[in-house]
Amino acid sequence: MDPEQNRDVREVLEKHERHRDNLIPILQEVQKKLGFISEEAIGVVSGHLDISENDIYGVATFYTQFRFTRPGDHIVRICRGTACHVRGGKRIMNEVTKYLGIAPGETTQDHKFGLESVACFGSCALSPVVVMDDKVYGRMTPQRVKKLLKDIE
Amino acid sequence: MKFEEVQQQSKREWEAFNRFDHPRILIGAATCGRASGALSVRAAIEKELAARSITADVYETGCCGTCYAEPVVEIGLPDGRRIMYRDVTEETAAELIKDFVKDGNPRSDLALATLGDITVDGIPSISDLPMMQGQVRIVLRNAGIIDPTNVYHYVARDGYTGLSKALGMTPEEVIEEITDSGLRGRGGAGFPTGVKWGFARKSQSDEKYVICNADEGDPGAFMDRSVLESDPHSILEGLAITAYAIGAATGYVYIRAEYPLAVERLRTAIKQMEELGFLGDDIMGSKFSFNIKIKQGAGAFVCGEETALMASIEGRRGMPRSRPPFPAISGLHEKPTNINNVETLANVSEILSKGAKWFAQYGTGKSQGTKTFALAGKINRTGLIEVPMGVKLKDVIFKSGGGVPDGKRCKAVRTGGPSGGCLPADRLDLHVDYEDLAKAGSIMGSGGMIVLDEESCMVDMAKYFLDFTHGESCGKCTPCRMGSQHLLRILTDISKGKGSPEDLDALKILGETIKAGSLCGLGQTMPNPVLSMIRYFRPEFERHVARKECDALVCKALVSSACQYTCPIHQDVPCYIDYIARGEFDKAIEVIRRENPFPGICGRVCPHPCEGKCEAGKDGDPIAIRDLKRFAADYELENGKNPERAEVKYDEKVAVIGSGPAGLTAAYYLTLKGYACTVFEALPMAGGMLRVGIPGYRLPREILEQEIEYIEKTGVEIRTGVKLGKDVTLEALFTQGYNAVFLAIGAHKPLDLNIPGSENPAVITGVSFLKDLSLGKETKLGRKVAVIGGGNVAVDSARSAVRLGCDDVFIVYRRSREEMPALPEELDQVEEENIRIEFLTSPVRVLDKKGKFKGIECIRMELGEPDDSGRRRPVPIDGSNFVIECDNMISAIGQTSDLAPIEDSGVAGTKWGTIVVDEEILLTEKQGVFAGGDVVSGPANVVTAISHGKWAATSIDQFLRGREMLKEFKAVGSAASTEPTELTDEEIEKLGRPEMPCLQPKERTRSFSEVELGFTKEMAILEAKRCLRCDYE
Repeated sequence: MDPEQNRDVREVLEKHERHRDNLIPILQEVQKKLGFISEEAIGVVSGHLDISENDIYGVATFYTQFRFTRPGDHIVRICRGTACHVRGGKRIMNEVTKYLGIAPGETTQDHKFGLESVACFGSCALSPVVVMDDKVYGRMTPQRVKKLLKDIE
Repeated sequence: MKFEEVQQQSKREWEAFNRFDHPRILIGAATCGRASGALSVRAAIEKELAARSITADVYETGCCGTCYAEPVVEIGLPDGRRIMYRDVTEETAAELIKDFVKDGNPRSDLALATLGDITVDGIPSISDLPMMQGQVRIVLRNAGIIDPTNVYHYVARDGYTGLSKALGMTPEEVIEEITDSGLRGRGGAGFPTGVKWGFARKSQSDEKYVICNADEGDPGAFMDRSVLESDPHSILEGLAITAYAIGAATGYVYIRAEYPLAVERLRTAIKQMEELGFLGDDIMGSKFSFNIKIKQGAGAFVCGEETALMASIEGRRGMPRSRPPFPAISGLHEKPTNINNVETLANVSEILSKGAKWFAQYGTGKSQGTKTFALAGKINRTGLIEVPMGVKLKDVIFKSGGGVPDGKRCKAVRTGGPSGGCLPADRLDLHVDYEDLAKAGSIMGSGGMIVLDEESCMVDMAKYFLDFTHGESCGKCTPCRMGSQHLLRILTDISKGKGSPEDLDALKILGETIKAGSLCGLGQTMPNPVLSMIRYFRPEFERHVARKECDALVCKALVSSACQYTCPIHQDVPCYIDYIARGEFDKAIEVIRRENPFPGICGRVCPHPCEGKCEAGKDGDPIAIRDLKRFAADYELENGKNPERAEVKYDEKVAVIGSGPAGLTAAYYLTLKGYACTVFEALPMAGGMLRVGIPGYRLPREILEQEIEYIEKTGVEIRTGVKLGKDVTLEALFTQGYNAVFLAIGAHKPLDLNIPGSENPAVITGVSFLKDLSLGKETKLGRKVAVIGGGNVAVDSARSAVRLGCDDVFIVYRRSREEMPALPEELDQVEEENIRIEFLTSPVRVLDKKGKFKGIECIRMELGEPDDSGRRRPVPIDGSNFVIECDNMISAIGQTSDLAPIEDSGVAGTKWGTIVVDEEILLTEKQGVFAGGDVVSGPANVVTAISHGKWAATSIDQFLRGREMLKEFKAVGSAASTEPTELTDEEIEKLGRPEMPCLQPKERTRSFSEVELGFTKEMAILEAKRCLRCDYE
């Protein structure tokens, strides 16, 4: 792990008591800093909390929020919730997977885009919803989402 | 600071906030507002204010629930007017600053509602908005009204008086207050809150915990998010009260990671509580100490279940455990814990403030209080409402929600998220409360309500929910983990047309097993969607399995493209359009001819149901499928096409009665199969309604001749001038050696108008008028002609009359324009030819003077209640009679079949004048005699008749070969195998449905030349490229 990442992880650890209760918040903050949870980071957290790496993987892999590989520079999240589904969410997912050439959970070769599908953003009144880099876009259409991706490129 | 001081400070701040020395601008900036662009609107507002040097106070508030109108901006002026504007853009925001803030012009065209006491002409007040009517806002009391980041606003509106009162009571009294109020858990289970608190109170322990469950995971639910973002203190105060009641010193808010704005609001609110002494030690001067921590979820729906939630807080995998022990005895860190939902807590703070009796006045029976509902899906007014328990579901959907958009029907309403069920449209009279919904097979759940219309497939929806819960299953217990897999597999098979009839029973048994055996609520409620779908929509499931039909056009394996599926003869539209896009017109027409022996005819007169379902038509114009078919057919004509004569393989002969599209199609396909076919036609020329019902300006005679000739060239023999019942009988045909007969005699008998005086010779029927015209006999008409009716025959009669020289032709139709059966493009041409239409008018009687026709007395109509077909019946308006003077009246109000030729022949007729057939195989009650076309369906259209012809050919072939007569059901797919052609940027610019080139209106009168001229090659190729190729994966 490069020294900068090491420092980031230690900074996170310093903010929390050495208690298992803090495992998930710690992992969340590590992911915020590094963009994902690296093998090395888990090693450091394991030592700090005195929980086995195996155990930490067991917890981290249970939750869909955590990534274990470097994410794309831009994360596209497409809602697959009920309201979005009813209003054409699948068409949008199809358009994006076709355009980027990756499936949900994957990152493009050039690490430019990562694609995720989310169960529900809670903005159902604006369905179908796409979240790009934490910005919520409502009332999307396949054409508009393609344009959004093109503009970012 | 003491609480009284805080209250005074709050009063001052709230008054200042509402004083309006300057204009006050509130921008709804919760998550949905932001997603709609509220922050850019704010920037635009501030820019405009600065540019105009106007001082105004700008704040961001939460969400008041009118999501359908976001971004929403409220502008209040010093003169007291407060107006809420809707769908605000950066442009309209700038306009409003100039028009309303500077010039005082309220711009009612951009307004949603007024607030406060002052009304403004042309703008409803907020309480009159349909969505707001009937609401009782307890949980949403401050939403959209206060600045959610300002604690003093909350306190000014009685915030924290609940906590203050609670601290002056004993914990047991607090619990009693909540019990008396009747409050039940709003997370979905509906357990009485006071009782739950009682358990935790009774547990003895040095440490206890309270948790707010803000892990709102139900897709389609956003009530909790809205409250968290718009009024976080209402929840935190409730949590503090709960902690006091049960004796806890630490509280957690477990909130899902997907709600970053809500997390931010909570953090700010908690800090404010700490600063004001509402958290920490000795709260409000009492001995109660309490602290709140935030824990974020990490993306697991199952963590909404309380034991999984607690495991997650403890840094473990979010897997539930069995209960007992219940959390109230042993919960977080094995200490007594009480978990409540966001909405429950928002109610708690208000109940302690205003009292149990006040709360219990709302609601019904065992469901006290109010409930928030998140309206989403196919509904006009999406958003959030809060209504007393017990309101009728249909009022929520149709009054508050404004019904289903685009005039579609409501098919069902889903309540309770993935744990809930669906309620079909005929159960909407239900009351929304815990008991009623459970009895109907659904649950209240957290309050998400998704409306579905006829474009939602119930098999697909069941599969969708199962897919979700299956993915979210923690995997711990077998019924949920394995059961969900099996349910999903069966549903997927059904959606692919691979299901079997036993599958539905298997789903029920599996579902019930999973419910009984699962460890936690996720598994226990997982089968609910599919069980309730089967309960209410079983026929839809059965049709997927037995007939490979998905009427909602959703299941991709059954409906590869809506156009092909909807077409009665399943023309491979994507395939032929793709060939046209590539310039391979000969291949295109080959594909068309496979299913359709009349491409040039259909390409001109088919009512194109395919275009009605075209995906491109959903936000734009449908692809011009019919016109493209015509283009391909015309290309074939120019380049000549001679079919091969079919080989006669069998001895059996078939007689077809009627040379309309149904008869000729049947003969054609039977000939291709190897039979000798003779078509008997009563009129001197072949074609049926194609000849005598559709004039040449719509269907040129050359096209008709050529397509009939094509059929004859394959070997079909047509004998004209032979009438059934007169020149030949059914019995005679069999004696002459025919082995099967297909009756396709059409519907040529006009319906009687039945008004006094209609025997007058100046009154003729549209059917006979058009027939005479096509057979070369001209009818003498006066200048002014009235045509009664609204279908193709009426329109064609009017347009033909114009071409014969009548210069004042008009149509009298008893319903409105929207309901007229004639196609919209024909109505456009009617207007261009100066034919006016008197809508909502009906003739009463013919006026004559000594036998000479003078005119018609008419009466105006209005639309009343719907009849059995769902169309609103026209009802005469008393006393609105008036006279139209004219020279002739043409009556075209519909046709029926003349069944006299088959009387006493063993073939049964119905009272509507159609022939009785077995619906699956078109066999009449007489052996060897089949029937199809208008004589079976009633007057329909060309393509339906063609489909009957093909279908009959299959049944007759099965009959003659001694095989079982059966209709085969197959999934309909396209043979197109190539990728859609890429469009150049230039082409994308020009994309749009081309207008059909037509003869100029003045060239059309006096001539029956074809009005529509057909696409050019360039138009056709570009339009074909516009096709979305829905068949392509």
